[in-house]
Amino acid sequence: MKSANINTFPITATCPACGLLCDDIALENINHQLKVTKPNCAKTVAFFERAIGENTSLIAGKPATLQEAILKVAEILKQAHKPIFTGLGTDVQGYRALYSLSQKTSARLTHMNATSMARNLKVLQSTGWQTTTLTEVKNRADVIVCFGSDLLSHNARFFERFVDADGMFVSAKNRQVVVLGEASNQAIKSDALQAAWVLPCRATDLPSITIALRALVAGKQLKATKIAGVKVGDLQTFADKLKAAKYAVLTWVAKDLDFDHAELTIQNITETVAILNKTTRAAGLPLGGSDGDTSANNANTWLSGFALNDDALNDEHAEHDAMLWVNSFSPEKASPQTDMPLIIIGNSNIQHQAEVFIPIAIPGLDCSGTLFRVDSSVVLPLKKVRENNLPTLAEVLCQLEERLK
Amino acid sequence: MITLLKNGKLYDPAHSKNGVVEDIYIRDGRITSKPSQTEKINQTYDLTGKIVMAGAIDMHSHIGGGKVNIARMMLPEFQETKNYSEPEAHICTPNCSHMATPNTSDTGFRYIEMGYTAAFEPAILPINARQAHLEMADTPMIDKGGYAMLGNDDYFLRLLSQKADQKVINNYVAWTLHATQAIGIKVVNPGGISAFKFNQRRLNLDENNVHYQVTPREILKSLSRAVHDLGIAKPLHVHCNNLGAAGNFQTTLDTMGASDGVPMHLTHIQFHSYGTEGDKKFSSAAAQISEALNNNQHITADVGQILFGQTVTASGDSMMQHLNTKHANPKKSVIMDIECDAGCGVVPFKYRDQNYVNALQWAIGLEIFLSVEDPWRIFLTTDHPNGAPFTSYPHLIRLLMDKSFRNEVFAKLNLDAQAMSNLTSLNREYSLYEIAIMTRAGAAKLIGLNDRGHLGAGAAADITIYTDQPDREAMFAKPDYVFKDGELVVKDGKVVKVVWGKTHTTKPAFDIGVEQDLKKYFDKYHTIQLDNFKISDDEFADDGRGKIVTH
Ligand SMILES: [Zn+2]
Ligand SMILES: [Zn+2]
Repeated sequence: MKSANINTFPITATCPACGLLCDDIALENINHQLKVTKPNCAKTVAFFERAIGENTSLIAGKPATLQEAILKVAEILKQAHKPIFTGLGTDVQGYRALYSLSQKTSARLTHMNATSMARNLKVLQSTGWQTTTLTEVKNRADVIVCFGSDLLSHNARFFERFVDADGMFVSAKNRQVVVLGEASNQAIKSDALQAAWVLPCRATDLPSITIALRALVAGKQLKATKIAGVKVGDLQTFADKLKAAKYAVLTWVAKDLDFDHAELTIQNITETVAILNKTTRAAGLPLGGSDGDTSANNANTWLSGFALNDDALNDEHAEHDAMLWVNSFSPEKASPQTDMPLIIIGNSNIQHQAEVFIPIAIPGLDCSGTLFRVDSSVVLPLKKVRENNLPTLAEVLCQLEERLK
Repeated sequence: MITLLKNGKLYDPAHSKNGVVEDIYIRDGRITSKPSQTEKINQTYDLTGKIVMAGAIDMHSHIGGGKVNIARMMLPEFQETKNYSEPEAHICTPNCSHMATPNTSDTGFRYIEMGYTAAFEPAILPINARQAHLEMADTPMIDKGGYAMLGNDDYFLRLLSQKADQKVINNYVAWTLHATQAIGIKVVNPGGISAFKFNQRRLNLDENNVHYQVTPREILKSLSRAVHDLGIAKPLHVHCNNLGAAGNFQTTLDTMGASDGVPMHLTHIQFHSYGTEGDKKFSSAAAQISEALNNNQHITADVGQILFGQTVTASGDSMMQHLNTKHANPKKSVIMDIECDAGCGVVPFKYRDQNYVNALQWAIGLEIFLSVEDPWRIFLTTDHPNGAPFTSYPHLIRLLMDKSFRNEVFAKLNLDAQAMSNLTSLNREYSLYEIAIMTRAGAAKLIGLNDRGHLGAGAAADITIYTDQPDREAMFAKPDYVFKDGELVVKDGKVVKVVWGKTHTTKPAFDIGVEQDLKKYFDKYHTIQLDNFKISDDEFADDGRGKIVTH
């Protein structure tokens, strides 16, 4: 994989910085420095324009060869009875290698987004859902609902790419966006979002508001006149709009529904969709996604038969004795505080105090790879776009497995 | 290195060998003619009294891709309930396994342990093909391949509604085969998955898709013609309209005539053979369907037998699966619209022997098996996992080969269903030779795998060896030996060596000019680049396991 040649610039690349996996990123190479010429997305620019940091392995902060570092990791894992592998920010190929290592070391696997991933998974495993994907949104959606206000901070180009653009069956000007959330103070660049109907509320009001909406869509009458500050009359208008829509898409970002039993709120949304689908068409769409979470979940599911749903970091009874933090994409996200021996394998720009640190090639930047988009159905190849001598995660873990024999 | 399989009893229908005692020589993974006397035989297996067949080929089994993985994600309880103690257990045998959603390693292991050396994923959504191949690459032991779904994608429907030239359609079909690394083309509920996105709830063969104003018949005609013109061995794989609906047999009969004599394969035909007679307005139309299959030489079919117990139905047919969500058991389901390309519906289901409809479905499948005369045109499937997990094949084979066993099971079913079936009047018992046709020679011929499914010189040495036992279920559940590409991989029903198998594809020649219009379409309506839609050969090679074979 490492040996793959870099095409001549300019290059069109795929961006792993958020769940949308935009694959129209235009890259130039100016004096050995990558430059994003399009689009102007802060996450994309940060991802591609960050230079390689520490490119040698470290043991207790001191430079070591890759072989020495791998040997040290093997030593730590051999002594551990129940290691925990977390972060898990990698692509499909990296995840396969992590899964294989976890089988050989009895390690527990938990993604850095485990808490928010569990919110969606609980709904999938209790009632299931009726969902759609981004190309359907772009071409069909005439009503787009955001439950929560912060979609842009997760998926900055959602509106630009899928809502402000004309679709096959609906033009941009005929779409209506409805936001249930706090009025955003971000500079809004989207026409559709600027024209959105905002029903102001806090995220913590969504449980009661989504219950009311579900009831209204089901044709029930409510006695109250206001729900968490939102007029029931407005909710009724909203419900009627959904029923009249040809293809309403109801979106949420599980990470932002940060309150107890958020799965019940998500279920109110997905059950509203199920009711709408008795007479018209509608679909849910979980958004957000980062750090290879959708890829890790899918790969874990086919490899083990189970979804990746172990929220081990929040398990008070877990007694682990070594931690491996894998983080390819987001050096700014720190590993958990721990007294255990800590191994970090990841992005060369990670600041850390690990016992062993091994910098690796970042899929989509330093090596090729494969990632799942947030809507799961679409899986995209990632390109190697800069020269480097970093090993891939799979290469490191493969050698590590040899040392564990 | 030469291996000798000595004195086995060969069932090799491709060479009309029906129980002939012969030696087989294997060299470099292939079956070879008898070597000269000076050459050293490295290994000899004495197979005196043993039954020898080519490795079995499952031509329709949902083993990879989004739907199956959604089923795994949604149903963790399936992984935990390996011990079976449900009401249907009295019909089960010690060899029954009810694992509807095995992980990728279990899939490969369970197949090879039964002597299957290849399985084909029949419903690859082109946009999701990369996932299907990733999963299949992680499926050890067996060869793989898949059929790409067309006929509900907006690009094709636009072409058809604009009355595009057949040549343009042919180029698009060929391009899709290349892009998705598939070996065949499938159409699911022709036009119906798209129609559901426009809020149509049913679509009959001559009914228009409301948006495109084209009918399923026109879609079938165009796609079957394209597959034929391109010289693809595998006929168009057709999942008919009106899946599972009472009275749908008429649609199925009419569908046989939709291609003007061009070959088509009608899949899981059991689910499309229902009449509306009787008090419950649900009856067997197996007789009419079988008669039509006997009379229409251009049509092949696989059965999609149901067996009792818990499973999950995973289909591209979002329209009909949405109707089925009310029967979900346990009560949950996933319905998806996908990328202006296709859709899917995943609905868990429990087939009960005391339920009238389920018991009759079981009988209908067997009635079809026993009434279709030509074993080269009917294939043994459960539409895994939709009718039952593939691990129930040995049980199904016994039902076909053993009339008294079949009638014993039948006598335990829902009484009203028994009254509506003529199963006990069908005396046929399949022979080993016929089983070898259905599961080996016929399947290989259908898909166009020239060097698989037979035991002639030059064939890949995928070979399964059984002990001849009167209990055919026990026999087919646990072969003595399985060779994969000449290597001994299973001994006494257990895997002794892990191998990774190959991916079979077909790449017909076409005019690459088709990409100009596709590129415009992608840039305007899609949300990924055209180039990223295409799966390169390198992606298979990258992990060191995958290997592509092009037919
Ligand atoms: Zn059973
Ligand atoms: Zn099927």
